[in-house]
Amino acid sequence: MKYHATILIELKDGILDPQGRAVEGVLTGLGYRVENVRVGRVLELELEAASEPEARETALAIARALANPVMEVYALEALRPLQEVL
Amino acid sequence: MKVAVVVFPGSNCDHDTRWALERAGLKAELVWHTEGSLEGYGAVFLPGGFSYGDYLRAGALAKFSPVMGEVRRLAQQGYPVMGICNGFQVLTEAGLLPGALLANTNLHYTCKEVFLRVERTDLAFTSDYRKGQVLRLPIAHGEGRYYADEETLARLENQGQVVFRYVPQPGAASEAPYNPNGSLLDIAGIVNERGNVLGMMPHPERAVEEVLGSVDGEGIFTSLSKALSAMA
Repeated sequence: MKYHATILIELKDGILDPQGRAVEGVLTGLGYRVENVRVGRVLELELEAASEPEARETALAIARALANPVMEVYALEALRPLQEVL
Repeated sequence: MKVAVVVFPGSNCDHDTRWALERAGLKAELVWHTEGSLEGYGAVFLPGGFSYGDYLRAGALAKFSPVMGEVRRLAQQGYPVMGICNGFQVLTEAGLLPGALLANTNLHYTCKEVFLRVERTDLAFTSDYRKGQVLRLPIAHGEGRYYADEETLARLENQGQVVFRYVPQPGAASEAPYNPNGSLLDIAGIVNERGNVLGMMPHPERAVEEVLGSVDGEGIFTSLSKALSAMA
């Protein structure tokens, strides 16, 4: 069965995120009262697996391989059968 | 002993690096990143550039290239391995050096000359320098802000693993900003515990002839030449 996974990769808390700062500066300039803006990444992918636990395990292994544990954290944000996404 | 200069898709300092090595009397060969063996090479360079277009993160995809297994093997066996700029980013992504290189604090791709102090001269790459010598070398990067957690930074400092540090231009006003990217502890280059794997953001291969504006980078290559002669 095919699954659709959404993986989030973000900088760890406490690590300076100059992209987030730049975005925050612009948002503030637009009049929004926001703080602690952080910019991360979203990876979406489709994968074949025999079961949901297997799909979850594979998606997490991929997230682990792609994130850099020195400065990033990852999370499997969503995992759904592909047909529910389409 | 010949030196391998690994070429990833997007490397662009590979020829300069080979040129600098050959000027120092070394035999250097470009090696495509899908190569499965580095048998017969006495040292490896990971050059600057934009491997895989810097997609995902600088160096993050290059670490999965087939040749990296061999780079790891040579590093573990004590052969000299050096990463310059993008090569340094690849070495940290591959876990061959601690820490990571993050986006410059000012978010600018910064291309200019910087000054760095040589902190170690007992390495295969630095024996031709004097301890405390200040080098003028170019940088050209967007992700050069060295980051590691406090424990790692303390270990690097205590074990003398910081090899190059950004310093003010000699004679410049003391308030002048000199750290070009926000690197912690002004780190421009580090070495592993064993002392054979070196990574640095500035480009020594772009400073090996007077016509290039500086010859301060030559020492890296002449030092290695002597070290490899001694090994052979």
